[in-house]
Amino acid sequence: MDYPIWNVAVGGGVLIGVIAVLHVVVSHFAIGGGIVMALAEARLARRPDPALRELLKRSSLMLILVSTVFGALSGVAIWFVIGLVHPAATSTLIHTFVWGWAIEWAFFLLEVVTALAWYATWDRVRPRTHLLLIVLYAFAAWMSLVVIQGILGFMLTPGRWLETRGFWDGFLNPTYLPGLLFRTGVCLLLAGAYMTLAALREKDREARGRLVRYLAAFEIAGVLLAVAGLLAWKGALPEEVRAVFLGAKPLVVAIATGWRHLFFAVAASALLALVGVLFPRAVRWPVALLALLAAFGVLGGYERVREGARKPFVVRDYMFSNGILVSEVEALNRNGILSKARWAAHDASPTPISRGRAVFRAECSSCHTLDGYLGIRKRTAAADADFLRLFLTSLRDDGTKWTARPPEKPDFPFMPPFVGTDEELEALVAYLDSLKTPVTAEVHRGN
Amino acid sequence: MGTDLIPALDPAPIPGPPSLLVFLWVVTFFLHLLFVNAALGGAIFSALLPAALKPEARRPVALFLADVSSWAISLAVTFAIAPLLFLQTLYGRFFYTATVFVAPVWLGLLVLLLAAYYLNWTAKFRLKAGKSADLPIALSAVLFVFIAAIQVAVYLIQVQPALWSAYAARPSLVLFDPAYLPRLLHFLLAALSMAAILPAAFPRAGEAGAGGAARFGLFVALVATGAQFAVGLWLLGVLPTGVLMGLMTGGAATLGPLAAGILVGVALLGLLVRAVAAPGNVRLARVALGHLVAAAAFMVVTRHQLRDLYLAAARANERLVVATQWNVLALFLVVFVLCAGLTVWAVARAVTDRPGPGETAA
Repeated sequence: MDYPIWNVAVGGGVLIGVIAVLHVVVSHFAIGGGIVMALAEARLARRPDPALRELLKRSSLMLILVSTVFGALSGVAIWFVIGLVHPAATSTLIHTFVWGWAIEWAFFLLEVVTALAWYATWDRVRPRTHLLLIVLYAFAAWMSLVVIQGILGFMLTPGRWLETRGFWDGFLNPTYLPGLLFRTGVCLLLAGAYMTLAALREKDREARGRLVRYLAAFEIAGVLLAVAGLLAWKGALPEEVRAVFLGAKPLVVAIATGWRHLFFAVAASALLALVGVLFPRAVRWPVALLALLAAFGVLGGYERVREGARKPFVVRDYMFSNGILVSEVEALNRNGILSKARWAAHDASPTPISRGRAVFRAECSSCHTLDGYLGIRKRTAAADADFLRLFLTSLRDDGTKWTARPPEKPDFPFMPPFVGTDEELEALVAYLDSLKTPVTAEVHRGN
Repeated sequence: MGTDLIPALDPAPIPGPPSLLVFLWVVTFFLHLLFVNAALGGAIFSALLPAALKPEARRPVALFLADVSSWAISLAVTFAIAPLLFLQTLYGRFFYTATVFVAPVWLGLLVLLLAAYYLNWTAKFRLKAGKSADLPIALSAVLFVFIAAIQVAVYLIQVQPALWSAYAARPSLVLFDPAYLPRLLHFLLAALSMAAILPAAFPRAGEAGAGGAARFGLFVALVATGAQFAVGLWLLGVLPTGVLMGLMTGGAATLGPLAAGILVGVALLGLLVRAVAAPGNVRLARVALGHLVAAAAFMVVTRHQLRDLYLAAARANERLVVATQWNVLALFLVVFVLCAGLTVWAVARAVTDRPGPGETAA
């Protein structure tokens, strides 16, 4: 929070979301593709199949063009963008998990080199060596998921780390294994769905049907793993997270709807995979495309629910999405948010509106823009100063509820609390009130 | 401005010995730099080829360099991750602040890199098909130079917190930093020298124009290395007084790597003069390449020391809390050795394994 603030028109969260969606799709495909291609090449070693070989050869170029650079770069892009939007949170993750990321990097090195070597050695090395390269790739790629899942799960369910601050307590958090199971399933589902689309280029009808059925088996396996993972994941969530989107009266309806949509996507994937197994010749590009979209839906739906269920935290029960630590709420209520948010405050004049703008930048701008995504001007247009004061006071009371042990139910479970002194609260009211479009008539200075 | 705008240290402790983190950072950055030099320098050198060689003579060299780049770009990206990790662990508050000032450009860097990578593959496929690839090569060279320019800007903003107020208001001011241009040129010339030696160091027997490409490459490397001395002096001359004094009065720790880098550079110059006169001497070209790699290693150490000197005042009161995660660190070292070993073994096997008589290839 004591970092400079990047005001991005579309909203930092949206930007992170767009880059993250691109990256997770590509990276899951890269992992699943490795497993499917390794098993397919092993099958090829036992039973020659020119159509399958041709499919693998074609897919290998896709694998390296997509995986070794787009996957790597979009992964770095997530880092870049979270470092820009949430520098304090990124710093916390780095300080906690730098060795975990370093381990993932070591696997990634093996993954990139074996992918490039596998592509470059078609028609050049013996089949056994070629198989070994893709097996190594698949192993390294999946191991990178094994590592990164620990960090992803940590942000939603930090578990015992909150008390111990120990690496393994954070890494092997309650949703670690369920999430890993789910993601492994999605990897297979995505890879099977994409490669089915690629297999449709095969001209021989019988060979095409054989390929489609073979790949659909991976999709079925993927769906089964994903469902098992999802159910286990749901079971591993703490009660306060479940309350966000589960039960008869979920706290956030949009996330609850997303959860239901996720199961529709899973059902559609299962159905389309069954079509591939039972009626492979019926699978033409519209069906294959639908299956791929359904697989995207499964992954996208899960990420939406996972991210949504984490709000208003970036690391649950430790750091709010605006970078304020749960542990510093009390001190900042006493000393003022601007005592810490030095960049937000550094060009503020002593006027209430100017200081209120600084408070807004420090506390609200990680989610709200002025007029763009979650634009604050539109959201506060109907509220007068008294209402704003009441709302912010209630939000400040939430801070006490979040920090109580055990936490009490806040009035606004989707938003970080307001943190700051009375004077800062009044300044924020003055700033938000000043955003309203003036109702005075415009004076026309005619000639 | 004093240090009042520098973000506070992260409350979480540093999870490993800082000296080990610095060591890993410098080593992995050096490896990253080698691949960057191959990709960036390769693109620039390929873009220069039309000035010296006819299309049929330059095509095999350009294809060779595009082949090298298709590996080098992937590996440069991969090897960028590790130093970035260690940099953020130790200097995160300086690094994040600098990147926020130039946020759109910093994110744009990745778009440029992606475009440059795919342009390289476009060039590779066109050259393989016997077509001209001058345009994608030239474009990728331009993009790589832009990327280098962005990196230099972020570095200079990061190490000068005293100027952050001004940079926050107008980040483009960094382009007028006296050290900006010489630092960028220093980097570009090193990359060009390295890539330009490659055709002479790794000639492909029987290829048309191989001799001409080797001769031209060695000549370019000679000119670039010669220019490097002037640019290096320029860079030293424009360093802030405190930084220069720190470098010159740091004893063997700072003068050793700097002097070694310069001496290796002088030896490299001599080798290149001889190599230009004998462009077919592969061994000589490889020795020159080895010298260049060694010079880069010394300069990476000096670069790191300069960062510390720039930041000395800002970090004067810094009290790092260290709580080493020994078991995870040990696991990392084991996994790293395992993965690096498997990587080398896989590459060696891919290069040497060929089907015997009567055997089929994969």
